[in-house]
Amino acid sequence: MTPLSDAFLDRLASAAVREGLADAVYTTLATPIGPLVVVQGREGVLRIAFEGEPLDRTLARVAAGVGPRIVESDRELAATRDALSAYLEGDDDRLELPVDLSLVGGPFRRAVLETLHREVHRGEVVTYGALARQAGNQRAVRAVGTACATNPIPIVVPCHRVLPASGRLGAYGGGPERKRVLLALEGASVRDA
Amino acid sequence: MSAVALPPFWSLIERHGDELLVHARRLTDDQTAEDVLQDALLRALRAYPRLRHGDHLRAWLYRVTTTTALDVHRARRREVVTDEPPTASARGLVTASLAAVEAEYDDGAFESLIAPLAPTAQAALRLRFVDDLDYDRIAVELGTSPEAARQRVSTAVRTLRERVSA
Repeated sequence: MTPLSDAFLDRLASAAVREGLADAVYTTLATPIGPLVVVQGREGVLRIAFEGEPLDRTLARVAAGVGPRIVESDRELAATRDALSAYLEGDDDRLELPVDLSLVGGPFRRAVLETLHREVHRGEVVTYGALARQAGNQRAVRAVGTACATNPIPIVVPCHRVLPASGRLGAYGGGPERKRVLLALEGASVRDA
Repeated sequence: MSAVALPPFWSLIERHGDELLVHARRLTDDQTAEDVLQDALLRALRAYPRLRHGDHLRAWLYRVTTTTALDVHRARRREVVTDEPPTASARGLVTASLAAVEAEYDDGAFESLIAPLAPTAQAALRLRFVDDLDYDRIAVELGTSPEAARQRVSTAVRTLRERVSA
C-alpha cells in the first residue's frame, strides 16, 4: 500500500484552510524547552501543549471546544512557528501572536488570561494577588491560580510570569523547570525556591 | 461545534488515508486517484460537523471516495461530449454536486450509485462500505468463505468502475 505523500497532505490541509473548512490547524515544533504542539483557530493561537501531554488528548479537547475539523499543516502555521522559534531561541524579544481564548472556561478565567496577555510584559512578573486585582476581583486569588493552571496557551499567554507572593518560582503547568527557563530567557529575576 | 464527539478529522486521515488512496486507484487510475481523494476528503470535511454520530467513519469515507470517483468519471465523459475545457468543467461538476453529497450520510447518493448492480453485488458493497464489516464478518453474512467475500466485493467495485467509465 503506497502511503499518502507529505505533499498530498500539505495540499489537502491548505485547501481545507483556503475553503474555510478547518476549525483548527496544528503543528509540532521543536524548541529549547522541548517539542510543542501548537493549535491555531480562526482568531489566533488556541492551544499550546508541552511534551508529555498525549497529542490525541490535546486534539480531542480542541475538537470538543471548537469543532472536529482539525488538520495538520506546518505550512499554514509557518508565521506562528517562526515567531515562537525566534522567541524561544532568543533571536527575538517580542512574541506578538493573536490568541483565541475559546477553550477558556468561564468569564473570570478569560478576564484573567486577557489581562495577563495584555499587561504583563517580557521581563516583568506579577503575583497571583496583583493579577486578581488587575482582572477586577482582588479577592479571587485562588481563581487566578486556577485560571493560570488551566491556561490553554502557555508561553503566549504568559502564566510563567505569575509568581506566589513569596517571590519564589511556584507551580507551572509545564513543570517548574520550564518556568525557570522561560523567566531566565526573559531576564526576570526569581528567588531560588 | 458538533453535538456529538467526533474524532479530530486528521486522525481519520492518518488511520485510513493510505487505504482510501488504494480504493481511489481501483476506481480511477494512478494519475487521477490523488485528485479524486483530495476532492473526496474536502467533501467529507464539509459534511463532517453535521454527522449525527461517529460510528462507521471509515465506511463513510469509503462511500464519499466512491461517489466522488464516479462523479469525476461522469464529468469527464460529459467533457468529451461537450468539448469544454476539461479541468474547469470537471471541477464545476464536482462542486455542483457537493450539496447532494453533504446530505450523503443517509446513504442516498451511495444507494443510487449501486442501484444498477445485481442484488448480490449491492449486498456485498453495503456490508463493506455501509456496515464497515471486515471480510470475515461479510463472509458470515453472505454464507461464503472470507476469500469469496473479498472476491465479491472486489468484483462489485470493478463492475461499478466499468459501468461509469464505459
